Amino acid sequence: MRYQKALKYLVTFFCIITLNFFLPRIMPGDPFYFLSSEQGEVTVTYSQEEIDRFKAYYGLDKPVLAQYGSYLKGIIKGDLGYSIYFGSDVRTIIKNRIPWSVSLVLLSVIIGGGAGTLLGCLSAWQRGKGSDKVLYGIMVVISEIPAFLIGIFFLFYLAARQGIFPLSGGAKPFADYASWADAVLDIVYHGFLPTLTLSAVQMGGFYLIARNSMITVMSKDYIITAKAKGLSTGRILFRHALSNAALPIVTQAFYSLGQAVGGTLLVENVFKYPGLGSLMRQAVMVRDYPLIQGIFLTVTFFVVIMNAVVDILYKKLDPRIT
Amino acid sequence: MLKVENLSVTYSGDGQKTHAVREVSFSLEQGQSMGIIGESGSGKTTLGLAIMGILSSTAKVTGTIEYNKINLRELSARQLDMYRWKHIAMVFQNGLDILNPLMTVNEQIKECIIRHLKIKNHDADSRVKELLEQVGLDASVADNLPHQLSGGMRQRVLIAMALACDPKVLIVDEPTSSLDAISKAEIIELLSRLQHQKRFAMIVISHDFSVITRLASKMCVMYRGCILEEGLTRDILENPLHPYTRGLINSSPSLNPYQDLWGIPRAGEATTDEGCSFFPRCSQRSQICKNQKPKLKYASLERKVACNQGGIITLLEAWGINKTYSFKGNKICACKDCHMSIRAGEIIALIGQSGSGKTTLASILSGYLEPESGNIEFLGQTIKQHEFTSKPKGIQMVFQDPFSSINDQFTVMQAVKEPLDILKLYNTDERIARVKQALIDVELASDDTFLNRRCFTLSGGQRQRVAIARSLVLEPRLLIADEISSMLDPSTQANILRLLKGLQNTLGFAMIYITHDLDIARKIADKLYIMHKGEIVETGPAWKVFDNPESEYTRKLMSKAGLA
Repeated sequence: MRYQKALKYLVTFFCIITLNFFLPRIMPGDPFYFLSSEQGEVTVTYSQEEIDRFKAYYGLDKPVLAQYGSYLKGIIKGDLGYSIYFGSDVRTIIKNRIPWSVSLVLLSVIIGGGAGTLLGCLSAWQRGKGSDKVLYGIMVVISEIPAFLIGIFFLFYLAARQGIFPLSGGAKPFADYASWADAVLDIVYHGFLPTLTLSAVQMGGFYLIARNSMITVMSKDYIITAKAKGLSTGRILFRHALSNAALPIVTQAFYSLGQAVGGTLLVENVFKYPGLGSLMRQAVMVRDYPLIQGIFLTVTFFVVIMNAVVDILYKKLDPRIT
Repeated sequence: MLKVENLSVTYSGDGQKTHAVREVSFSLEQGQSMGIIGESGSGKTTLGLAIMGILSSTAKVTGTIEYNKINLRELSARQLDMYRWKHIAMVFQNGLDILNPLMTVNEQIKECIIRHLKIKNHDADSRVKELLEQVGLDASVADNLPHQLSGGMRQRVLIAMALACDPKVLIVDEPTSSLDAISKAEIIELLSRLQHQKRFAMIVISHDFSVITRLASKMCVMYRGCILEEGLTRDILENPLHPYTRGLINSSPSLNPYQDLWGIPRAGEATTDEGCSFFPRCSQRSQICKNQKPKLKYASLERKVACNQGGIITLLEAWGINKTYSFKGNKICACKDCHMSIRAGEIIALIGQSGSGKTTLASILSGYLEPESGNIEFLGQTIKQHEFTSKPKGIQMVFQDPFSSINDQFTVMQAVKEPLDILKLYNTDERIARVKQALIDVELASDDTFLNRRCFTLSGGQRQRVAIARSLVLEPRLLIADEISSMLDPSTQANILRLLKGLQNTLGFAMIYITHDLDIARKIADKLYIMHKGEIVETGPAWKVFDNPESEYTRKLMSKAGLA
């Protein structure tokens, strides 16, 4: 059983890697064509001789299958290749960007998920009453608006118009902090709007799932038992009901961790936040294949790993699943 | 201690109102136990939930629930929480979801103790173990999750949980449904032992008589939210007053180990809100029942019944019947101070050896034969000769020998229609329609070929059916069947008996079944009258007489028949 699961994930990874390899090669365009064009400030031109040399260097002159083989070998060794545009190791570039994105995603899932779940519980408890109806309406709207639109709204209103928050970036450029506390404060200050944006979207999703799940659970016999026992509302709601409603909520949490990575790619671009999202945009612009592949791989690995975590957690949360 | 008055519960949803409980009143003292019996959907469980105060918000509740003089319905939710479980607890119907699937047994029992008794965590743990042992479970069960328990264990956990705070009133909902026979017996034993030990008042909700009889000394019979009958359990079982109660008893396999089971017929028409709730299914309904809701009234000292006609009506009452035949100077006493009482819809087996006076008594009862002394009343009127045999809704007889009771030369049509012709009832078309219906009722063909067949061409079984059809066209209230199956082969006999019982169940007539065959009596009779040398030597509910015959003669009869 367990081996079967492991094998399933192994196959998934293999498919992802394969897709990741072939996808950019199907895409139109050529990194050397871009490097040699007038894209941005890059004005370096290459002669045919130079291009051939680069192609040989990156192994692009070999047959595709051979390229695929060496790509696989590289990945197993942890080597994601060499960025054509940045001229440095892809792994290092991504490693530098990951903390920004991951902290954004984690924070927003924790904040948005917590708030959404709590509101969902209260809404389910008050089901059919005014407060439930109002909350439900708001949350449906929030959960349907794309993250970047909310981000743009915050950017225009809170940053540009009111000037409360910075317009872009992850920290003050060229800053010289007096203490580490100052540094943390500055990072929090910069990260506030992107986190808020992603949290809002997360909250909507979590609210809907929590409310739904709680309503189902609230009609179960054991809730009647708990009420008959004269237990307090808090205990009924959070010990008896929520623990049973938690399964779909936790699934949602890890599922959205994966999704939020996708969301953050766009939101980061809105705020020019120095995470994987901004990096990806740049990489796509210049057809930097090794980098694009590296980012893809990182993001998909993240999603798959989150799914695996859900699988494991499921068992821990529901002892009936064997 | 617990007093419920005029409690009504109405569910409303989708614009429809469902009256789950209507004006129910009862009271319960400490140490008393009361059973509530009824078919599913009769409102039993809703009543239990209403007392606990945990009905959903779509249910509208009116009336009062008094516990120790405090009206629980006037308390706030928070105040009520202090009474729930501590004073009034409930053993819920055993279901997979009734315990929280993610919490251990220990936690689920412990949380009520901590909440209501304010005991420290550690002490509560040992109290949980104590409780589990009290209900016959191992203390280690405390660490189990609900899905690891068997149905019987879960039932015990539910009982332990309900008793966690030593409640004064315990509501037990279907404690044995879905349990096997051994677990069922054990749970009943356990509940009865605990009740004797702890002296709590108990309400047992069940559709199973065997549970109620073991656990409750008094009982209420519920139907569509109304209490139709209330009284001591033993009295009700021996002598049900409401047709519905009798129907339930007749459908109970535990009370009818020998008889065929017959459920209460389904409703043919809808219940009206103003009429009796049992009206559509009642076999003795009259016009008044459609428009007037009966009140629960005292019928005797400890018995209440809600019926516009005061319960099952007594059709025929006879007492002090004497009859002596003189033959060449010898006097044969055929009936000596005989008595009989038949209620609507009842089957009485009149049992005796040949020559014991059964047929004489039956003939006297129907008015064919004049007694020397004694009184016979049919629906309160004294019987004079053929008065009741010669009119519809009266008394009809079916005789032993179908070959001599019907004229050989008659066609089937003539034979069955004759009573209507003689009495000049209905017009021609209607007579024919009734004949056909009667033939259909007795499962004979009703086409013209059959109607025109002469009776001598029919088999014994067919002729007996024709004889029954002939008596049914007059819609008798009382059918006296004198050894009607003794001349038939076993298979035909079985068919005729089932047919009669089925007709009796749907049409609701009463029947005196005269026989010397104890096996058959045991199969069909509600009540037995044992006759010996012109005397009624024993009477009683069939199950009682068969299980525990009182008179010497009955015992002898049983042992000769190999029944005891």
